[in-house]
Amino acid sequence: MSLCEAEKTFILHGVEENFRIDGREREDYRPMEVEIGIISHAFGSARLRLANTDVLVAVKIEVDTPYPEKPSQGKLDFFVDCSANATPDFEGRGGEDLATGISNSLSDAYRSSKAFDLKKLCIMKGQKCWKLLVDILLLECGGNLYDAVSLAVKAALWNTRVPGVKSVGIDGKNVELNVSERLNDCVPLDVSGAPVMVTVCKIGEYCVVDPSAAEEKCSSAALVVAVSQGNITTVLQGSAGSLHPTTLMDSLGLGVEVANQLNIALMETLQSAPPHFDVGFLK
Amino acid sequence: MFTTKVFIRKNKIGNFLKNIREHYLRDDLFCGFTSCNVCKPEDTALSSNIENKSGLFNYPHYLILDTNIILDQMDILEEDVICNVIILHTVLKEVKHRSLAIYKRLNAVIDNPNRHFFVFINDHHRECYVPQEDTELINDYNDRCIRTACLWYINHIPDAKFVFITDDARNRALAEEENITTCSIEQYVRSIKENNLLEDKLAKRDYHVESDTQDLFPAHLTVTQVQEGIKEGRLHQGTYRASTSNFLEGFVSVDGYEDAILVQGRSGQNRAIDGDLVAVEIFKEQDWIAPSEIILEDESRVDTAVEEVLLKENELKEYSTGKKKKEKAKPTGCVVGIIRRKWRPFCGILQQDAPEGALYHLFVPADKKFPKIRIETRQAEFLKTQKIVVVIDDWPRYSRYPAGHFVRALGKIGDQATENEVVLLEHDVPHSKFSEEVLSCLPKLPWIITEEDVAKRTDLRHLDICSVDPPGCTDIDDALHCREIEGGMLEVGVHIADVSHFIRPGSALDVEAASRATTVYLVDKRIDMVPALLSSNLCSLRGGEDRFAFSCVWEMDKNANILKTKFHKSIIRSRKAMTYEEAQLTIDDKSRNDSIAQSLRNLNNLAKILKQRRLEKGALVLASPEVKIRMDSETMDPIDVEVKKLFETNSMVEEFMLLANISTAEKTLKDFPDCAMLRRHPEPPKINYEPLVKAGKHLGFEIKTGSNKELAISMDNAVKEDNPYMNTMLRILATRCMMQAVYFASGMFQKEDYYHYGLAVPLYTHFTSPIRRYADIIVHRLLAVSIGADVTYPDLLDKHKTSDLCQNLNYRNRMAQLAGRASVAFNTHLFFRGKLQDEEAYILSVRKNALQILIPRYGLESTLYLSQKGKKSIFEYNEEDQTQKYEDVVFHAFDPVIVRLALDSNNIQREKLVLQLVFPVVKGFSIPPLNEEHKRKVETDQKKTKAKKSKKK
Amino acid sequence: MSRKELLSKIGLRADGRRAQELRRIRCKLGVFTEPDGSAYIEQGLTKVLAAVYGPHQVRGGRSKAQYDAAIVNCQFSMAVFSTGERKRRPRGDRKSTEMSIHLKQALMATIKTELYPWSQIDVYVEVLHADGGVYAACVNASTLALIDAGIPLKEYVCACTASLANNDIPMVDISYQEEVLGGPTLTVAALPMSEKIVLMEMTQRFHLDHLPKVLKEALRGCKDIKVILDEAVRNHLVNVGSSSGWVKNK
Repeated sequence: MSLCEAEKTFILHGVEENFRIDGREREDYRPMEVEIGIISHAFGSARLRLANTDVLVAVKIEVDTPYPEKPSQGKLDFFVDCSANATPDFEGRGGEDLATGISNSLSDAYRSSKAFDLKKLCIMKGQKCWKLLVDILLLECGGNLYDAVSLAVKAALWNTRVPGVKSVGIDGKNVELNVSERLNDCVPLDVSGAPVMVTVCKIGEYCVVDPSAAEEKCSSAALVVAVSQGNITTVLQGSAGSLHPTTLMDSLGLGVEVANQLNIALMETLQSAPPHFDVGFLK
Repeated sequence: MFTTKVFIRKNKIGNFLKNIREHYLRDDLFCGFTSCNVCKPEDTALSSNIENKSGLFNYPHYLILDTNIILDQMDILEEDVICNVIILHTVLKEVKHRSLAIYKRLNAVIDNPNRHFFVFINDHHRECYVPQEDTELINDYNDRCIRTACLWYINHIPDAKFVFITDDARNRALAEEENITTCSIEQYVRSIKENNLLEDKLAKRDYHVESDTQDLFPAHLTVTQVQEGIKEGRLHQGTYRASTSNFLEGFVSVDGYEDAILVQGRSGQNRAIDGDLVAVEIFKEQDWIAPSEIILEDESRVDTAVEEVLLKENELKEYSTGKKKKEKAKPTGCVVGIIRRKWRPFCGILQQDAPEGALYHLFVPADKKFPKIRIETRQAEFLKTQKIVVVIDDWPRYSRYPAGHFVRALGKIGDQATENEVVLLEHDVPHSKFSEEVLSCLPKLPWIITEEDVAKRTDLRHLDICSVDPPGCTDIDDALHCREIEGGMLEVGVHIADVSHFIRPGSALDVEAASRATTVYLVDKRIDMVPALLSSNLCSLRGGEDRFAFSCVWEMDKNANILKTKFHKSIIRSRKAMTYEEAQLTIDDKSRNDSIAQSLRNLNNLAKILKQRRLEKGALVLASPEVKIRMDSETMDPIDVEVKKLFETNSMVEEFMLLANISTAEKTLKDFPDCAMLRRHPEPPKINYEPLVKAGKHLGFEIKTGSNKELAISMDNAVKEDNPYMNTMLRILATRCMMQAVYFASGMFQKEDYYHYGLAVPLYTHFTSPIRRYADIIVHRLLAVSIGADVTYPDLLDKHKTSDLCQNLNYRNRMAQLAGRASVAFNTHLFFRGKLQDEEAYILSVRKNALQILIPRYGLESTLYLSQKGKKSIFEYNEEDQTQKYEDVVFHAFDPVIVRLALDSNNIQREKLVLQLVFPVVKGFSIPPLNEEHKRKVETDQKKTKAKKSKKK
Repeated sequence: MSRKELLSKIGLRADGRRAQELRRIRCKLGVFTEPDGSAYIEQGLTKVLAAVYGPHQVRGGRSKAQYDAAIVNCQFSMAVFSTGERKRRPRGDRKSTEMSIHLKQALMATIKTELYPWSQIDVYVEVLHADGGVYAACVNASTLALIDAGIPLKEYVCACTASLANNDIPMVDISYQEEVLGGPTLTVAALPMSEKIVLMEMTQRFHLDHLPKVLKEALRGCKDIKVILDEAVRNHLVNVGSSSGWVKNK
């Protein structure tokens, strides 16, 4: 997307007036839709649509051996794929840089044991653990990718059911797992601490949240704050541009505040979500 | 076009994958009632006029069956009395999942239009479908589905009455709550007015016993316990084999142990039956015992079963323990669980000693490997005279014997026909009459050769072709010719009956033949693979008649080198159907110089060269005692048993058949590298040769087994002047070391594995007997495509299909072979009934308490026990040299002896030949000879030994 | 009988369909705003998203551009979670490349490329769940997306799979479960109105005797699918039209 100078100035003035081009105030989010359990053959899944940004997350589960240095922890892997459906620029390997950026920031944000307790994924110390493979598919990019992805991931993890282990057999070095065949015996994950990311965008002299694709073009600097239960787990300064320390602190404060609100809103939505009904992309 | 109304998914986690299946619900499924005006009718339906046969209900009704009824009571369901039955799809699926054999039988009943069994697809029916609840177990869910379907029927057809039969008490109770009329199968069968004996066929899975009965067997482990045990290495999995001589012993061969695991006694065998896949626990080494090597038979009666077995167990214990036994201890264990039962219907008789009027009887299977079976019958007096078929239902812990039920009677004990039936049943030989559908595939008589046929085929009617077969052969599938052509060359032709012309792929006839796989020859009966019109007439290359043939024609020089091979479909007219003997006489009769005689002489000469060449390559000459039983043509009683005579012409025909088979194998493999049907004969593992090498060593010969050539040479060299029969015996032993030759699809094996070890050829197949072997028909079809005489069809080119077919062929062939032998054995016994005879014989091998004796004249192998029951043997057994010694008489393997043959008819089911030693004379053991010749021999021998003794002095 | 039968004696498949019945098809046009055309299709459990960009200027080197026709650029990609076992890469493997080429082949047959010289049309498909007949679903989704993008087509191009049950009865629209169990699968992409076949692929050997009937069944499947797609397109147009006041409300 390319913007001419006049368009940029229009956006800038809008932010100054606290009346953005789509009519929002600076701390407003665009409408969001979340749907869980949409990928039926995954152990957990969610689709989040934030205006034009469309993210699909599926969680698969494998049995793995823990890392030798962390014998009592399970594994959590993020993989981001930018579909060419979103923009032809992503064709071939075009989207890889963006994908790596997002998946790295997710790994950082989830690294803290307060954010997500990997110990719960351990089946047998040093022998067997669950490996959660969180696959994120970007279907459409309408700005504010990080926020959308983090919320979708949280929703997908909330939806994830880990198979119930019936028995573990040990035969020398071989460990055999017996897993209940019934879906009913699966265990949900604790995602209360799963971080929510908020992008704070500096446009002119003001900071806005949930920038649209056009607003991102006008931003002089952006800060991504990952917040888990009121604590910042990671901060990432995105895009070129600089921030004054006071602005930085203000932005962080804003980020934490917005993230808390977002988190509450998400959890409420998830808890009140009706049991899965079969709509998906047909809506 | 598309009637999906609701769409749901079934979820299942297995292997940590979440699987999803679609499940469509329909509303176009037929309910089975032609009177119903809601459902769209289909061809098959329930009958609308039904009569009530049960006294339990006073109205006509339809039956709905639970899964357990079908699984347990198939014998009842196969009775014509039971009809108008609704089989729910839920039930059908569960039956298929639980037992494929029962599923097939059920399908046969469903297919019978007179029975009015209707399959209702309740699980895809929109109104009968119920989703599984989260916490519901699969069995409860299935029960609920069945009950839902019952209720649906009651509402859907208000005019009709339905009875739901189940043996599951819980399900019955739940059904009653929901106002479904229900009863147990036992109640129902007993209430059927007209058929009292049906009760005999009820499977006894749950019959009441007095509470004070003790458990006789240890409990079996559960499936999960067994699986865990095997995984952890505590338990081992293997197939249980019962000992044929000792009913309290059995073996389980498991991986990782060279010797099979010995299981002994009631607790050791723990209700395993020969063929069952079991889990065994192996004892610690200090508890290992040696196999008892004694013979124990189960002589108990219904009422004394328990005391008897305790007695016998004690007897066994004495033999198996003791100091000396320790050294020969074998891995010992006990059966702790049954993984898969291999129960099948058994043929046998009722034990005769049961008191009159008793309800429970013991059934004794014809095959000694299987235990007696306790059955309930109200017609014992009649059944006692009959050979009957019985199946096992269950073997509860408190019961000495498995519980079973009577299925049907085969005929009077001792009748030829009955015994044949038993042989056929026990060897799973399909022998019912050909169905109408099959017979309708046959060509209409009179069969004439049309112009079209002539145009397609090469006319060879001008050639002097003749066939050479054993006397009395009516299914002649091969004929030969040989003539000189220019350049001093010979043209040799092998003409095989063109069966594939008549049996078209996919026809009912083809399917039947493929299932039968082979013609089975019993002594007085032939069970044809194809109907007699083909086997004995249209396909049989009879003398003087025009027949279709598949010809393989070679151009050869006088040294039997093949210059050219040609295959074509042809029309031939055999000049004469000769026997081997006739052909031999023709060759030998110098005065005959007609073209047939010359042709035979040429063939004979070529065959000798071919044979020589084959032997040089390492082909084995093996021997097996084959006998022919001469039957009285009127009474069909055996009047003589004789060893089959062999002429040069036997070998002549054989050589050309081999050559034709090899040529065909090469040709078909070249054109169909993936799906040619070949025959391989794997090299036996070295360990198989052990008895042969050992026997050779005792005689002072070294038997080399490095390759088939080495083996052939070393056997050729093992000749003793004074014992000409010894070499034959060596070859008999060698035959027993061999593996089975098998059919296979070329695409399923590596090229190296195609080798035929016995014939020493890299490629081999069967082409020359399509009338009696199905494999040859396939080979014919392939070859016909090769030469452009016919077209392929899908299954012919599918290597998996071919491979599946091969498995059936191999199985049927083995069974046919065993059935043939069983029939010979029975007739040999019949022949010896009431006879006493002294015969010259040889010791085949020396055992601990017996000598294995071969009687060449009757091709008979039997055991000569060296000790009487309960007495100690007077002979001294030397295990190292494999000899038995008493004073100065020493028995070696291959020593000639004279024995007396008599038939022990004490046990009417298992008559057995009893041998007694006549010569050499052993005081207190041997018996005086019957005839003069043998007497003289004995006397001269005694003089000799006396002379020796006096010399020593 | 070692292999499971695909069609029971009563004539139903494992999922309850009859041999000649398609799986349930649900589809929607215009699922995204960013691309010029987009569509989503479900065939049974197989789910595919397609997006079309263009016609636009040829991206990258202009040397690829053609003076007489538009170039069609296809990319097939499968979400890593689309299969039972997780895939390692969403695209770039041989199978995906092959699929891209086959897709292009089918679409080239219907797009009136001669109308757009020097331009490019991008078609991207993303498989969300692979449960048999992936290629067929991709072709069908692409057709819808092209229509949504307003690109002139000669006619619908539809694809369908067919196989042979019990070595005798042809059956249409093969699910993954049936693919795994059964014999050869025939995939056909065709122009159903003119009955032209634009692409045909077999997974295993078919005996010549069987091919005609299986092919006929697959073609019939294509025609049935066309009817369904056509209805979806008409509904879509009515919806879009009514929201802009283009279609008179009844």
